[in-house]
Amino acid sequence: MKQFKSLWRWVAMATILGAVSTAVMPQAQAQTAPRKILVVASNQDVPNFDPHVATGYSASALLRNLYDPLVRVEGNPPQVKPHLAESYTVSADGMEYLFKLDAKAKFSDGSPVTAEAVKYSFDRLVRLKKGNAWMIAGIVDETSVSVVDARTVKIKLAKPFVAFPHVLPWLWIVNPKLVEDNKGTDDGQTWLKSNIAGSGAFVLKRAEPGNLYELEKVASPWKSGGGNLTGAIWRIIRETSNQRLAVQRGEAHMALDLTSEDMDALKDKPGVVSVIEPEFRTFSIKLNTEHGPLADINLRKAISYAFNYQAMLDSAGYAQLMVGPLPNGIFGHDPKLAVPTTDLDKAKEFLAKSKVPNGGIKLTMVHVSGLEQQRRFALVLLDSLKKLNIELDIKPMVWPDMVASTASPDKMADFFPVYQTANYGDPDNIAFAAYHSSRNGNWQNPVYKNPKVDALILAGRAETDQAKRQAIYVEMQKQVVEDAPDIFGVLEKRKLALRSDVQGFIFTPVASNAVEFFPLSLK
Amino acid sequence: MIRFIVRRLVLLVPVFIGLTLLVFTISHVLPGDPVKLAAGPQATAEEIASLSREFGMDRPLPQQYWHYATGLLQGDWGQSVLTRRPVAADLKIYLPATLELVFAAIFLAILIGIPAGLLSAITANRWPDYLTRILSLASIAMPRFFLALVLQLVFAMSLAWLPLNGRFPIIDLPPPAITGMLTIDSLLAGDWLAFTTSCEHLLMPALAMSLSPLATITRMMRASTLDVLQQDYVLTERALGLSQSLIILKYVLRNAFSSTLTVIGLYIGWLLSGSVLVETVFDWPGIGLYATKAIVTQDFMPVMGVTLSIGFIFVLVNLVIDLLYGVINPKVRYQ
Amino acid sequence: MTTPSTAHPSRWQNWQRSLYRFRQSGLSIAGLAIVLVLLVIAVGGSWIVPFPEHISGGINTAARFKPPSSLYWFGTNELGQDVFTLVMAGARVSLIAGFGVVMIAAILGGLIGALAGYAGGWIDDVLMRLTDLMLTLPSLILAMAIAAALGAGLDNMVFAISMSWWPGFARLVRGEVIAKKEDLFVQAARALGASDSRILLRHVLPNVMSPIIIKMSLDMGFAILAVAALGFIGIGVKPPTPEWGSLLSLARGYLPDYWWTAIFPGLAIFFAVLGFNLLGDGLRDLFDPKARR
Repeated sequence: MKQFKSLWRWVAMATILGAVSTAVMPQAQAQTAPRKILVVASNQDVPNFDPHVATGYSASALLRNLYDPLVRVEGNPPQVKPHLAESYTVSADGMEYLFKLDAKAKFSDGSPVTAEAVKYSFDRLVRLKKGNAWMIAGIVDETSVSVVDARTVKIKLAKPFVAFPHVLPWLWIVNPKLVEDNKGTDDGQTWLKSNIAGSGAFVLKRAEPGNLYELEKVASPWKSGGGNLTGAIWRIIRETSNQRLAVQRGEAHMALDLTSEDMDALKDKPGVVSVIEPEFRTFSIKLNTEHGPLADINLRKAISYAFNYQAMLDSAGYAQLMVGPLPNGIFGHDPKLAVPTTDLDKAKEFLAKSKVPNGGIKLTMVHVSGLEQQRRFALVLLDSLKKLNIELDIKPMVWPDMVASTASPDKMADFFPVYQTANYGDPDNIAFAAYHSSRNGNWQNPVYKNPKVDALILAGRAETDQAKRQAIYVEMQKQVVEDAPDIFGVLEKRKLALRSDVQGFIFTPVASNAVEFFPLSLK
Repeated sequence: MIRFIVRRLVLLVPVFIGLTLLVFTISHVLPGDPVKLAAGPQATAEEIASLSREFGMDRPLPQQYWHYATGLLQGDWGQSVLTRRPVAADLKIYLPATLELVFAAIFLAILIGIPAGLLSAITANRWPDYLTRILSLASIAMPRFFLALVLQLVFAMSLAWLPLNGRFPIIDLPPPAITGMLTIDSLLAGDWLAFTTSCEHLLMPALAMSLSPLATITRMMRASTLDVLQQDYVLTERALGLSQSLIILKYVLRNAFSSTLTVIGLYIGWLLSGSVLVETVFDWPGIGLYATKAIVTQDFMPVMGVTLSIGFIFVLVNLVIDLLYGVINPKVRYQ
Repeated sequence: MTTPSTAHPSRWQNWQRSLYRFRQSGLSIAGLAIVLVLLVIAVGGSWIVPFPEHISGGINTAARFKPPSSLYWFGTNELGQDVFTLVMAGARVSLIAGFGVVMIAAILGGLIGALAGYAGGWIDDVLMRLTDLMLTLPSLILAMAIAAALGAGLDNMVFAISMSWWPGFARLVRGEVIAKKEDLFVQAARALGASDSRILLRHVLPNVMSPIIIKMSLDMGFAILAVAALGFIGIGVKPPTPEWGSLLSLARGYLPDYWWTAIFPGLAIFFAVLGFNLLGDGLRDLFDPKARR
């Protein structure tokens, strides 16, 4: 129509103008900098930087770069290495430790790391009773640590604890002056939440909560050696497949939360190195041994034999089936232990002996809402229970609610899935946390108790002779399997991806996703 | 005119009070125990009791409300248990990110919707019109989160034309934060590169969000333009010597303006409330993700904070729109 | 004897005309077709799917992530379950949930609106203030908060969403009730001494059914969308319920390699919403020709 010709002209001109200006706009380029910044992709946020309060692998990752502990753990199998303490000695009975601090060690404000600082830090940790204090609960108290001289610290344990050097890497030393200056009314917790008072090779450059955290290497770190990084960025990417894609495209150098499907997708991609290693991280389904139908040991055994372990392994991908309560490969583990396998006949035998010989009941299971692996395992259990004519009601819940439900046996569901991470490479870590009755009412060991097992665990903690210690743990595992308090599940392998230009990365099967930046370099 | 504005502004006060009362009531009616959550699973009964006193939870409800409401006015929107930061500080970080997304979505909706509606009206009942109408219907039915995934799949994963997620490339420092919206801050800082790269990151999420308002604007423009084309006053003004195109442009522009206002008023709540659906897909650190995390961990203060912010923004935006209607259509002022 | 005038078309003739317009509208027919297909699928349930055991949690880990083939039309997922079966089963979940939402919202909103409209005065003021305030609050966030507080499960989801949905119905019903309040038959009933509640329930409400049903049909598509949105966020169903939104959310991690796990549930949501929207538009034009196209 004629009258619209001019209108059309306007429209046409506007469109052309728009198209031309877009084409002419310079393409955005990533700034090529002489900086060497390592980008790490994780789906965990770091809401709190207080080394004596924060927990979680993301916090540990950043804290171990911002702060220093007395000793480190490195390598596969994990070995204790000097750090703030250049050497230490242990008394014959294993109760007294003497640490000699490295003279070069200094805080970010230039002041030296003294024995005073060590005592202050341990005292604060014990006083607050938060964060990693549980690792030394009952072992170290406010009288244990004493200053011998400016560079020597003595720690006297309240009870024997052979694994003590292995927990030290998670107990960080803070700068007493800075913390005291900003003590406030809560022992410095508010200030340390977002401020750093450490001696680490890195300091916090920028923090965008929910998005990213940037660390910057200090001008002259007191530690010698190390890689060529000038900084590192902890980037939060929630979806693991997006983490994988970021590494593929070079937008990130490391991805920490990858699934088996992600690793498969990365198999032949150029420039990417896959790290799939066994780790001491167990997954089991805890059974409510104190309340409900599962208090009946025959029913528990029936379910243990009906469970489809192969399906669990298939859906876990890169993993191994657990052989008993301790992770495969850890000191004290008995690879020849006799554990339940999928055997429907045996299952039905036990079922016949139980209080519900024909099944016909409904059991409940909770799992962490959003945790895909747990959902899969719940469905494997549902499918397995069908063969015993038992129904399963699956309830996704948020973790705090799940934790609250373990407070007493009647609040706990029948099945409770648990990942136990080995924070330190010693069997005591899992044995104590997961099977000692003092942990009842906690998510790690909600209800199971057996005085025989308790005694064995405590004996294992104290025994200094390696051979005797091994025998104690073998006995403990046998007893636990007898009691059938868990469905022993899988040990998922740790799955990480690195760009091929990342150098210096050594896999340690303890907290391997809490990456230490100092030794790393970018080509 | 002034009386009109003042009257509307004064009416805001009871609305805001009502909102805070409503949100406070809802949060206390819902099951959940924020004190137990804050205390942590290992807390003893005394610790829970003392924390309860600290939060003021042991006081009677009306007193708690008063404390909360007066706190809001002073800028104290409570503390997040999870992040252990004041909610107001968190909102300052996350709200601009979502607002940027919402503004961009509205911008795209107007940019594409108005010409599309015009086209549809001009070619009424021929194939461009049918196509546009079908696309509009499809756009309203399309779930934002699915479209976001598809866009990401095609343009980021397969073709690698656009960035995968986030607001800005990681290694580079964003422009100094003045508004918190990267596009605007880039322009203010004169950093053209930062501007284009922010736009690249903004494009897919904004597009996914814009589809519903876009469809509505298209429909409205089509209807109102068809109206205009058939009106008598057009003929009259033609007789008076004005050129045809200019006449139509005048009325069309006025309709475009009022359609835009209407759509913004209709969709601002929808856009802000549902931003989480697109934010999750693109790891966009906005209030949607912030609120969802808080909801899932039963962290009440952030949820209340986000709900109130969105409510306030909704009321304010609609107020401004009403005022603008008053400007373009004087009859409205005297209602 | 005068012949009956044909100037005023009878009701039946009006109906005929409306139906004719409906049939002429290709889009409305398309909508009806889609909805009928969905209904058939929802009713058919386990009888019309190739792998019914997968709906209640059956798995087959040996057949994980198989691409679409003649055996698995939409491929299989991370546990070897047939995606086609799950998507079909999801139809029933979505339809029931969507219907539940509009139903509860209509009943609750309708009662509140009717009360406000009929009673007038301060009751009307208070209820409408409340309704308007509810409308300014972000509906998705409100629904999420309620659903999360109540815990996982489809019924909690439906209840939560309907709690943010009722204000629309309240507004509508109030308007209609106010319009009908002064009608002749209401005045007659009052004159005869009927109580207020009787008038409300037996005379007024039945006459506002039509707009309520129109709104329900218009809202149905968006209700299904809201359910899927909540499922996508992850605040929703208990495994192994095959809800489209949560299927889509799970599939995110498998893009781009196992795209079929995401594309088909997403398309299902799209077509369901589209179908109900088209049908709703058509029904509205059918019952209320005054509404502008």
